[in-house]
Amino acid sequence: MNGVVMALRGLYGVWLREITRATRDRAQLIGGISRPLIWLLILGVGLNPYFRGEVYGEVRFVIPYTYLQFLFPAVIVLNIMYTSIQFAVSVIWDREFGFLREVLVSPMPRLLILLGKVLGGATVATLHGALVLVLARFADVTLSLDQVAVALALMFVLAFGLTSFGVILAARVRSFEGFGVFSNTVILPLYFTSSSIFPLDPALTRAQQAVTYPEWLVFLVQINPITYAVDALRGVLINFNQFTPGWGIGVIVGMAVLFFVVAIIDFARQ
Amino acid sequence: MAAAPASPAPMWCARRSLGVVFQDSSLDDRLTAWENLEFHGLVYGMAPRHRRERSETVLALVELEDWRDEIVRSFSGGMRRRLEIARALLHEPQILFLDEPTAGLDAQTRVRIWRYLDELRRTRELTVLTTTHYIEEVEGADTICIIDRGRIIAEGSPEALKAEHGSRWLHLTPRDAAALEAIRAARPDAQLLGAHGLALPADDGASTDAFLTAFRDRLTEVRFQDPTLESVFLSLTGRQLRDRADDRRNADKAAGRRGGRR
Repeated sequence: MNGVVMALRGLYGVWLREITRATRDRAQLIGGISRPLIWLLILGVGLNPYFRGEVYGEVRFVIPYTYLQFLFPAVIVLNIMYTSIQFAVSVIWDREFGFLREVLVSPMPRLLILLGKVLGGATVATLHGALVLVLARFADVTLSLDQVAVALALMFVLAFGLTSFGVILAARVRSFEGFGVFSNTVILPLYFTSSSIFPLDPALTRAQQAVTYPEWLVFLVQINPITYAVDALRGVLINFNQFTPGWGIGVIVGMAVLFFVVAIIDFARQ
Repeated sequence: MAAAPASPAPMWCARRSLGVVFQDSSLDDRLTAWENLEFHGLVYGMAPRHRRERSETVLALVELEDWRDEIVRSFSGGMRRRLEIARALLHEPQILFLDEPTAGLDAQTRVRIWRYLDELRRTRELTVLTTTHYIEEVEGADTICIIDRGRIIAEGSPEALKAEHGSRWLHLTPRDAAALEAIRAARPDAQLLGAHGLALPADDGASTDAFLTAFRDRLTEVRFQDPTLESVFLSLTGRQLRDRADDRRNADKAAGRRGGRR
C-alpha cells in the first residue's frame, strides 16, 4: 500500500516536471499557437473556394463540408504530432545533460520513470492540440461538450503513442542537430499522406479513385497510420469518415500500445 | 547498505539509503531550486509535509534560502554544487556519495562545502564517501584510500598513513648565500625550497639535532614541517597530480605531431 503511494508520488513528480518545463519553453508554445493559425487561417481560408466541384452545372462541395471544416481535425493531429515528436528532444536533453542519472539512482523503477515522462509529454501535446479546438468557430465547426470530451480522449491516446514514438527516436538519434532535420522528414510526409489536406473522395469507387489520384499516392495514404487517426477525429468533430469509423480508434490505441512497449524495451536497454 | 537482493522491495530501501552527488551537474536547469528539490522528494516518495520541511532544512544548510525560487540556469557552479548536495541529503540517506564535489570550484566554496559535510558527519548518522584530487581536503576523514592507476595502494586513517608513508621535514632559511652553500655541502640530501630556503629530511632526530647545533648561528628561520597527506601521496606515487603529468605528456605528444606535420 505504502509502496503504491510512493510510486504514484514518483510518477506525479516526473509528470509534473515535464509540464513545468513545457510552460517555461516559450518557443514550443509559440509554435503550438502559430502553427494552427498558419494552417487554418492562411492555407485553409486560401484554399476554401477551390474545394468544390461542378456536377451537371451545379457548384457543390466535393464532400459535404467546407475545406476549413475538412482541414480542422487534421491540424489538431499536426499540432499533436509536432509536440509529441519534439518531445524526443527532452529525452535527449536529459541524457546529455546528466539529469537522467539523478532519476536512475532514485528508487523509482524504470518503467514508472518512462511512463511518467510519456504521460507528461502526452499531456503537453494534448494541450497543444486543444489550442486548435479554440479556433473551432473560425473554421465553422460547432462542437458540443460531448464531442470535445471524446475528441480530447482520442487526442490524448494519440499523443501518448506519438510521444512514445518520440522516445524511440531519441534512443536512436545522438544529437540535437540531427533531430531537427529528422523530425521534419518524419512529420511532414506523414502529415501530407494522411488524407489531411485532400480527401480520398468517398463518393467515388475504388477503381475511380485510382484514376483521380495515382495509385502510389492512394497506397501511401492507406498504409499511413496517421490517416486513420485524422479520420477518427473527423468522425468525432465534423461527423465525416472516409473509412470504417472503428478503424481509427483501433489504429490510435494500437499505436499507443505498440510504441510504448518498444519504448520500454529501448529504455531498459540504455 | 548491505547487499541488495534483486527483488524490488529491498532495492527500493537500498536506493533510498543512498545520496549521490555526481561530478557533473545533474540538476534540471529549467526548474527553480525549490522545484528541483520537490522533484527529488516526489521521486523518493516523500510525503508533502515532510518534503517541505526537509527542503527548507537542506536549503538553509547550504545557505541558498534566498535563491529558492530562482531558475537554476542562473546559478554559478558553486551554487549548483551546493544545491546538489542539498538535494542528495533531502531524503535523509545513510550514505552520501560525492564524486569530486569540489572540482572546478573556487577556494571559498570548497571550504564552505567541506564545512557542511563535516557538520553533517558529526551531527548525524551519515557516512560520507568522497573521491577527490585535492588530498588535503580529506584530512578530517576517518579512512583514506589512495588509488593509483585503478589499484588501491594505501588505506588507513590519515594519521596512520602519515606515520607510515609521510616524512617530517625541516624547513630553514640560511642567513646568506655562503651559509646555504655550506649547508648543501654538509647535507647532500637537502633540497632547495624557493630561492633562499632549504628543506631537510628530519625523521632522524639525532642527525637533525647535530645539524642544528652545528648551523644554528647561520640560520634566520627554522621550522618543522609535519608530514602532510600531500607528501604521503607524493612518496607513494612518486609524482604530483596525475592530471598534470598526463597533461604534459599530451602536450609533448601534440607538439610532436605538430613537428611531424611541418
